[in-house]
Amino acid sequence: MCDSCGCGDPKVISFDVHERILAGNDRAARHNREHFRDHDVVAVNLMGSPGAGKTAVLEATARAFGAQARLGVLAGDLATENDARRIRAAGILAESITTGNACHLDAEMVHRGLHHLPWRSLDYLFIENVGNLVCPAIYDLGQDVNVVALSVTEGEDKPLKYPTMFHKADLVLVTKIDLLPQLPDVSLDTIEENLKSVMPRPAMLTMSARTGAGIDQWVRWLEGIGGPRTAACSSAAGGGRAS
Amino acid sequence: MHEYSLVQAMFDQIGDAMRRHGAVAVRRVRVRIGASAGVEPALFRTAYEVFRIRTACAEAPLEIVDVAASDELTLDRLELEVP
Repeated sequence: MCDSCGCGDPKVISFDVHERILAGNDRAARHNREHFRDHDVVAVNLMGSPGAGKTAVLEATARAFGAQARLGVLAGDLATENDARRIRAAGILAESITTGNACHLDAEMVHRGLHHLPWRSLDYLFIENVGNLVCPAIYDLGQDVNVVALSVTEGEDKPLKYPTMFHKADLVLVTKIDLLPQLPDVSLDTIEENLKSVMPRPAMLTMSARTGAGIDQWVRWLEGIGGPRTAACSSAAGGGRAS
Repeated sequence: MHEYSLVQAMFDQIGDAMRRHGAVAVRRVRVRIGASAGVEPALFRTAYEVFRIRTACAEAPLEIVDVAASDELTLDRLELEVP
């Protein structure tokens, strides 16, 4: 009770907290990141709308790397194992994170997913986020890079409509470019212009998982951030990482 | 609608603060939400109103401070009732 003025009110204290609401997620993300660094695994958070072609990108990436790199995927979806099944069929280790009704992955879900994947032996871990251009953007998962897949059929103005997502992207992969002849109103130049207005360091690559166009550049970009371990550095801590 | 999971995370933080101070109820909650935080203040408020029913926050109004040109998302200040 209040004992200073005799008003009879319960005692009330007030104080500053100044803590990020996502502090708990940030801690889990730091933990994941330390794991990835310790085991020299490059973690890629792959985001984008439902149907942007994220799974097709991963299938094409597996074909392009072949035996040169060990890839693994944690595939997030509200329901079904479909993506993980497709990715396994392409020869990559894959595990589903079924989120129920959650519209995004968080660092804790990724951590739990890792328990089901031999991730320590990977060169690249792709975290295929829930198809959504809003919610996944604000959750750090412990990734090295954020990549957003944006298909040409989604429209040129998506970066302007969902600026937070594209602001966080280290790279935007413009997918399904084989469909451009059927989309006379869609211009890659306009997409690039729009990305430049929302990305602090604009970076865009174009590709078609179907025809293989642009896959080489994507693979080179991935090699630039990490690259497969060579026999010489596979046992040394921190080998092969550019960043 | 990640605002619900954010409010859930904030309730965990508030619960920690209450335990630290031995508080029995929350009187007031203030958060700061940046314009580019990727969080819609109105949805955050709706989620808070749903969550707080029959909790220690049941009588605690939520104050949201809008912060321009920032991606800040913080639990800024608490007012707690202590025995």
